[in-house]
Amino acid sequence: MRFLASIFLGWCAVLGAGEGAPSAAEAAYAKGDYASAVEKWSEEARIEGVSAGRLAALGNAEWRLGRKGRAMVCWERALLLDPHDPVALAGIRHALNAGGTERPTLSWFENYAMLLTADLWLILATLAFWVAFLGVVVPRLRGRAATENNHRARMAALTVLALCVPGLLGSHTLSERAVVRRPEIALRLTPTQLGEPLNGVAEGDVVRTGRPFNGHIRVTTAAGKTGWLRTSEIEYVRGDGLPADLDQKASP
Amino acid sequence: MRRLTFLWLALLLGLTAAAADRVSWDITPRVTAPGQPFRLQINVESDVLLGGAQQAGRDIRPPRGMALRLSGQIVRSDSNEATLNYSGVAPEQEGEYLIPSFTLRFARKAIVVPEIKLIVSKGVAFRRSAQARAELEIADRTFYVGELIRGTILMRGGEQEMVVANYGLESAAEGFTFAVTGDRLPLPDELGQGTQTNFELTPIRAGESELILNGTMLIQGADISPFSNGGRDRPFAFRRRLTVEHVPESGRPADWSGAIGTFAAETPQVSKEQPEVGEPIRLRAVLTGAGNLDRLITPELLGGEQWDVLPATERRRSADSQRVFMYTLVPRLPGKLLTPAIRFSSFDPLTKKFSRIEFAPVAVTVTGSAPAKVELITADPAAPAAALKPPVTGLASPEPDRTSAFFLVTPAAPLAASTTFWSGNGLLLGSLLVLTAAVIYFGYLAAHPEIRIRRRARAIVRAALHQTRSQDDDGRASARRIVHALQVGSAALLGAEDEAMTQSDVERALPGASRPLLDDLFVRATSDRFAVSAESGVLSDETAARALLRQLLPLL
Repeated sequence: MRFLASIFLGWCAVLGAGEGAPSAAEAAYAKGDYASAVEKWSEEARIEGVSAGRLAALGNAEWRLGRKGRAMVCWERALLLDPHDPVALAGIRHALNAGGTERPTLSWFENYAMLLTADLWLILATLAFWVAFLGVVVPRLRGRAATENNHRARMAALTVLALCVPGLLGSHTLSERAVVRRPEIALRLTPTQLGEPLNGVAEGDVVRTGRPFNGHIRVTTAAGKTGWLRTSEIEYVRGDGLPADLDQKASP
Repeated sequence: MRRLTFLWLALLLGLTAAAADRVSWDITPRVTAPGQPFRLQINVESDVLLGGAQQAGRDIRPPRGMALRLSGQIVRSDSNEATLNYSGVAPEQEGEYLIPSFTLRFARKAIVVPEIKLIVSKGVAFRRSAQARAELEIADRTFYVGELIRGTILMRGGEQEMVVANYGLESAAEGFTFAVTGDRLPLPDELGQGTQTNFELTPIRAGESELILNGTMLIQGADISPFSNGGRDRPFAFRRRLTVEHVPESGRPADWSGAIGTFAAETPQVSKEQPEVGEPIRLRAVLTGAGNLDRLITPELLGGEQWDVLPATERRRSADSQRVFMYTLVPRLPGKLLTPAIRFSSFDPLTKKFSRIEFAPVAVTVTGSAPAKVELITADPAAPAAALKPPVTGLASPEPDRTSAFFLVTPAAPLAASTTFWSGNGLLLGSLLVLTAAVIYFGYLAAHPEIRIRRRARAIVRAALHQTRSQDDDGRASARRIVHALQVGSAALLGAEDEAMTQSDVERALPGASRPLLDDLFVRATSDRFAVSAESGVLSDETAARALLRQLLPLL
């Protein structure tokens, strides 16, 4: 009991460790110097790694600079790390209500998947799989009949595994979405250089992605329109951290 | 002396008699129907010269519901007689009405007129439609302080009279502001001939108040004479008790700023749908409906991170029953933006409920690029920085140090993208599968030993078949191998120990095998264990012995 209490206290201490004097980035943000805030938070993310809170804060600063695409990427990635991050949720809500951006309506399994992170779903599913698997294998290895507890553990693990399946599917579809990064572009009818424009999409709009072909990605917008966008015009929600710098020339 | 006294008394009586003024009045008709016009004439005869007069009968105070107006007077400065004419309209309720005593003021004398009685009876035949008449139209309900009440006085001509004009509308209402918005307007066709006067009232305090409206219409007979216009005045008077309350405080929204009425918000318009960043555009919002449009406080539109809002201008056109709000918006960010929503609350006096009026945001595509640093712009540059209102935004305050409840340390890459995770799990799974398969395999073998025994026997038999006889072999070595193979094979078939197998056992396993051949093979194979014995005489055939082995092999 004492051991559990010490673990809980330690966890609380770590959770509360973030409260302290505002950083330089936060001070710049408070003063309205959003460009400096972006620069400093990006630097912190490169050095210390990304977190949901840092990405969400970065999204706020990017939004205030008018870079809707980068802001939406930050917020969406923050939600992949922590589906309940209030800053990212507020940012996306604001972008949808007042910012003119569009985002596909989440399906039931995507909403279900947002109960936990993708990693947690995977860990949970893996644990459930191993418990069920070992529950089947170990009695065979030992050459004994499975006990009643073994059966219970096996059923519980299989139940958890079944519950994890929609979560894993939702996490996958959530991460397969992409954010439009270029302003004033249009969906193309064909994945070609001179494809006929169909519908306009705006920077910051979230789209569902499909198969790639010829340097293009087949996407579906929030309004259900399907067409092709260039790979360089969108950025996947899944990613390893900060949004890509599309203005930077690719190294030869 | 007696005669002198008589003369003095006569003179005194004469003087006394001269001092008594004679006042008479006449109402035509004497008994009127409700709402029927009548004429009142007052004749004054005095013993002294009355002198000139202006509006001598202005002190007359008609009773409630009766319209009465001085329509003419005949007063000469060198006469002791005067005639005053009044035109009136009887009240709507029947009964006896007393015009209180009042004073006629002439230049040289004031003469008191006694009470005048008018009898109003429904028994009098009167066709209302034949006469010109005035009607007041105003809502019969509870009004609210600040509300705009629109009313109309309809002056309708009759079959025998036409309304030519009207004038002198006066309001004696306390607790109201009164304004005439349209005078001498022609009546709608369905109401017939006549004029109408529109007015607006606004209650300024709560409680019971009485609205009193007086006026005069100029009427003319239906038969127009070329030598006389025949016009005459006819007064009208209305007294209406109105109940005024304050707008209820329960359920009153915080943003209610005095709007009372039924309003409708039209779709706002922008002067330019694709402005550049920093380019001012005008947002025009038109509010229509019935209510106190003029008293509305212009809804405040707060700027945000996307828009700067300059002070609103407006155009008031009460005649059109609409109010136009004009805002100047300056986009601060590029992209597809929505203009700020214009919202305010209003109170509907008919349903007695508050409702929310909202102008829908307009989508605007802003081109250009955003500045690196966005400064807040205020309408008043001189305002202190501390007084600046924070921008209206839906963004939450950033919490970069907030730790997730799921992970104290967030992984740099998703677990699903980790090759270590998948390869580790795959390796473990493969190992366990192999181990399980091995356990199952060996367990099966352990449960069925005949498989292993027969496999061994097959191997020994095959080895014996494939081994060739060497040069120094006198036949015993090969016989030992063949016998051993036969013993092992027979033991596997019979489930016995191979060392214990004899020729008879081999015969049981291989029915039809040559017994002499078997005896010879066994003798030669085991001859070295015993003393030298005579040859059996049957020289074993190597080929026949191998045939035995071939015969044995499929049985294993």
